[in-house]
Amino acid sequence: MSADSGAMRKRTFVVTRFDPDVDQAPKTQSYEVACRPDWKVLDALNHIKDHIDPTLSHRWSCRMAVCGSCGMNVNGEPKLTCKTPLADYGDVVEVAPLANFPIVRDLVIEMDGFMEKFRSVKPWIIVAKEKAAEQGTYSQTPEELAAYKQFSMCINCMLCYAACPVVATNPHFLGPAAIALGHRYNMDSRDEGQVERNEVFRGEGSVFHCSYANECSEVCPKGVDPAAAINQAKLLAVVDWASSFVVKRNR
Amino acid sequence: MARASHPQAMTPHRPGSTRTAPPQVPDRFWTQRRMAIYQLFDATGLPYMLVGLLALRVAFALGRGPEAWAALMQDFAHPLYVAFHVLALLSALFVGVRFFRLFPKAQPARLGPAKPPPRPLIHVGLYAAWLGVTAILLVVLGGIWP
Amino acid sequence: MSKLLLRLEPVIWLLFGAGIMLGTMLLPAYLLTVGLGGPLGLLPEGALAYDRAHAIASNPLGRLVLLGLIALPLWKGAHLLRSLLGEWLGHGADGAIGSLLYAVAAVGSVLGIYAVLTL
Repeated sequence: MSADSGAMRKRTFVVTRFDPDVDQAPKTQSYEVACRPDWKVLDALNHIKDHIDPTLSHRWSCRMAVCGSCGMNVNGEPKLTCKTPLADYGDVVEVAPLANFPIVRDLVIEMDGFMEKFRSVKPWIIVAKEKAAEQGTYSQTPEELAAYKQFSMCINCMLCYAACPVVATNPHFLGPAAIALGHRYNMDSRDEGQVERNEVFRGEGSVFHCSYANECSEVCPKGVDPAAAINQAKLLAVVDWASSFVVKRNR
Repeated sequence: MARASHPQAMTPHRPGSTRTAPPQVPDRFWTQRRMAIYQLFDATGLPYMLVGLLALRVAFALGRGPEAWAALMQDFAHPLYVAFHVLALLSALFVGVRFFRLFPKAQPARLGPAKPPPRPLIHVGLYAAWLGVTAILLVVLGGIWP
Repeated sequence: MSKLLLRLEPVIWLLFGAGIMLGTMLLPAYLLTVGLGGPLGLLPEGALAYDRAHAIASNPLGRLVLLGLIALPLWKGAHLLRSLLGEWLGHGADGAIGSLLYAVAAVGSVLGIYAVLTL
């Protein structure tokens, strides 16, 4: 045990700054921060904003990796800054906004592109006729729940979009979280909307754009494994496509 | 310390009210270890296509007769062909290992009434099949039987 | 072309899936023998002599395996190269690049069928 194990450590944070009213392009600004040994990256950012530079903008909320707000690129890797210990890093820590998203200001990215793709997969239970309230609730066995539960754990932090080589190069691709969520509903025994969703999955945002790089699953902080969802979705989309020739459809 | 993504990556169809900076990726995005391995995996597509075309040549040579076959075997003994076939072999092994690792989790929990075997079983089963097929083909093509 | 490829994606994906699974299973033994062992004289005497090789290939199962060794790697390779080139060159040319690569795979497969039937 070194005598310094509880001591503060001075680190340099190289933070991306961008003010759309003033800057042509993003640039970096360095801050020297004396960090406590148990700090996460977010603690350092909040310290910068509170004590050094109040103009720094960044998103955060729950501080416990459930809200998905604080996703950023730290030393080139997409991370939840509330969950990323500074102890994993050295003297210099680079903090940049999440990759592959337009930058609104400093570390804040434009989320609407994600929300569009998200909505397009119809992430809700679709039934032809809702069960009447008197008939009671929908029941599900543990096995039926297990078929989709993992994919329901997504907190929409978008780290997967920041890691995906297809998102980086193909603006049409639906992306990991959107497909994983669509697949979550396709696998839900209460849902009857597979045909509709599989049309979206075979459309312009096609699940088949995915090249199974598996980067999304590597960076996912909640173990959702979107790569598994996407590639399961490919098989189901093909089965749906094949059955569209055999079974008559209303559209 | 950043390079550009596609200029319209993750861009909404209706822009927001403030000017945004274009999407970017970190410098190391394309060269970091996992991404480099994945690109190598994609690049095995080239030796695979060439193997397919060479197999076509094998088939035509067999159809043409002993002289064509002998010429082909002589060509294949050339150092460049040997190097290529070694590269192709390494590619196939690399592809097999990576693909067998990723395949089990790509099976949906159910497809109609069907359910997949447990993932570790699929993983082992794939290797068993690979070894089995390889053994049979080695026996046949290697001159042991028939 | 991109629209056409999008509509054909399920078929392309199935061909790619078969290609990577079955192709990878068949390739090591084939490469070790026909690619390396035979030409370098490392196999038992007469293993890949013309008469024996032709007899094995002419067997119905042999024809199928040989066709597999032609077509399967072509579809697997075309699909992955399309993906790689899409990332390197941008997806604007995906329609052209994809079509070209799949055309090579398709032509190769058809020629493979012909070659295997006329052994």
